[in-house]
Amino acid sequence: MSSFDAALDILRRLDPTKIEENLGQLIKLDPDLAEDLLASVDTPLQIKKDPHASQKEFLTCDYNRDIDSHRSPWSNRYVAELSPEDLAESPFPTESVRRTEELANESFDIYRDLYYEGGVSSVYLWDLGDDTDDFAGVVLLKKGSQSKSSWDAIHVFEALQNEGLSHWNYRVTTTIILHLENSSREMRLSGNLTRQTEKDVARPASVVEGSDALRVWHIANLGALVEEVESQMRIQLEVVYFDKTRDIFRELRDQTQASGASSRTAHQEVVKGLQGM
Amino acid sequence: MASEFNNIIHSLIASTPSGEIKDVYKNLLVIAGEQAEDTILDSIAKYNVTNFIPIQVEGRSVIISNYNKEGSKFFDPVSSRLFSVNHLDRTAFDVNSCEKKLCETSESIHQDLESYTSKTFPGNVSYAVYPGDAPHDIVIAIVSTKYSPGNFWNGHWKSVYHYNLDTKQLKGVIDVNVHYYENGNVSFQCEKQVEDQSASNAVVSIKTLENELEKEMRASFTNLNEKEFKLLRRRLPVTRSKINWGKGVGTYRLGKDSAENQFR
Repeated sequence: MSSFDAALDILRRLDPTKIEENLGQLIKLDPDLAEDLLASVDTPLQIKKDPHASQKEFLTCDYNRDIDSHRSPWSNRYVAELSPEDLAESPFPTESVRRTEELANESFDIYRDLYYEGGVSSVYLWDLGDDTDDFAGVVLLKKGSQSKSSWDAIHVFEALQNEGLSHWNYRVTTTIILHLENSSREMRLSGNLTRQTEKDVARPASVVEGSDALRVWHIANLGALVEEVESQMRIQLEVVYFDKTRDIFRELRDQTQASGASSRTAHQEVVKGLQGM
Repeated sequence: MASEFNNIIHSLIASTPSGEIKDVYKNLLVIAGEQAEDTILDSIAKYNVTNFIPIQVEGRSVIISNYNKEGSKFFDPVSSRLFSVNHLDRTAFDVNSCEKKLCETSESIHQDLESYTSKTFPGNVSYAVYPGDAPHDIVIAIVSTKYSPGNFWNGHWKSVYHYNLDTKQLKGVIDVNVHYYENGNVSFQCEKQVEDQSASNAVVSIKTLENELEKEMRASFTNLNEKEFKLLRRRLPVTRSKINWGKGVGTYRLGKDSAENQFR
C-alpha cells in the first residue's frame, strides 16, 4: 500500500469534523503527500467576497486556488490580488471556456435559489488541452443555516466528446459534506458521502459547435445530472444519517430489547414458515 | 521536532473510532515508517486507558482505566487478577492472582450491573466497579461495543460514573459513537453529562438516566431530520417540479424578479 492510500484510509476513519486538522497533520508527517491529498480530499468549502463584483460571495477550493488567492467566478479575478509576476503564471480558462463558465454560474445560481433558498454557488471550468473541446470543472454549493448545521456539495466533472463527435460523455464525482448538530451541542451527525455518475448525451444537429447554443446545451446536461445526483444523495444521506445510525445504536443499547428479541424470533419463525411453503 | 511528531501521532490516534485503531495503526506505519511503531503503540496504550477499553483476560472482558492501574499493570477485582496488556490486540499477558477484591457494596452494585446490562445492551457489553479517587468514591463503567467492519460500521457506547457512597451523589458522562463509512465517512457522536443528587441505588439511577438519554436522542433525531436538514436543501424546488434547464432557466429569475417587483 502507498502512503497516499494509507492517508486516504485514515481520513475516512477519523472524526470527520476534524478533517482539516487531520489532513494538515498527515501532510506534516509526509510533506510529499500534500499535493495529491489536497487535490483529492474534500473539505468544507470556504466563502470569500469579490471586491470587483459588489462583494458578491463565492466559494473557494483547491480548483480555483493559486498560491493563497482564489479566482472569483463573477469577475474572473484573483482575491486577494496577486503580484503581476505571480499573475502571469496563474491559471485562467480560455476565452471560450470562460464564456461557458459565465453561463454556468448564472444557471447554477438559479438552481441554488430554487433548491437552497439561500447559500452560495460557484462553478469553475478548465480546458483539457489545446487540440480538444473537452473540458472539466467543478460545481460548488454551500448552505449553512443559522445554527451549526451545514451542507456542502462538490461536483467534480469531465465533459468528453466521444469519437464521431456526435456524443458527449459526462462523468461526475459528487461529495456531499453534511453537518447537523442539536442546539445543546450534545449530539451531532457529521460526515460525507461520495458517489460517481456518468451520462452519455447525443448532440442534436441543430446545436452547432463553438456556439452559445452548445454552451447552454452542456450546462443543461450538467444541470440535469447535478440535480438528479443531489436528489438521490439527499435521500441516501437521510437513510445513512438517520435510519442507519439509529439501527446501529440499537445494536449497542436497546431498552426494549427483551420484548424486541422475542418479536424478532417470532418474525424469523414466520419467515422460515413462508420459505418452507 | 520529536515531540511535535509525538503530538501528531497522539492526536490522530485520539480521534480514531475505537473499533478501527488497528487499521489506523497499520496505515500510520506505512506513512511514518517502522521507526514510528513505539510512538504509535504508546499513543494506543494511552487511548485504551483514557477510553475505558475492555481487554480480554482469561476469557473475561475487563475494562482498563486509571482507576484499576497499578504501575504498568492493571487489576480486576472480580477475578482478583493482575495483568499486563497488549494494547494493540486488547489482550492480557503475565496474568497473576492478586489480593484485590470487590468490597461488599461494590459486589452488590456489580450484581445489579450484570442484571441491568444483560437486559439492555445487546452489544458486547463489559462493566466494572473500581475504587475512586476518595475513600467513599467508586467508579462505575459500562462499555458496549458492536464492530461490523465487513459492513463498514462500528458502534461504541461508554458511560462512566462517579458515585459517592456517603452523599449518594452520582455524576457521569455518557459517550456514544457510531461510525458508518461505506462510500464516505459519517459519524454520530453524543456526549452528555448526567447526574443524580440522591441516588440511593446507583444502578437504578443509571438506568433511569440512560433511558432518558435514549428518549432525548430519539427526539433529537426527529428534530435534526425534520427541521435542520430540511432547511439546508429542499427535496424539490418551490415550484414543486424539476428544473427546466437550457435556455428556459432564465425565466425562473424573470418570474422571481417580477414577483418581487410587485411588492416594491
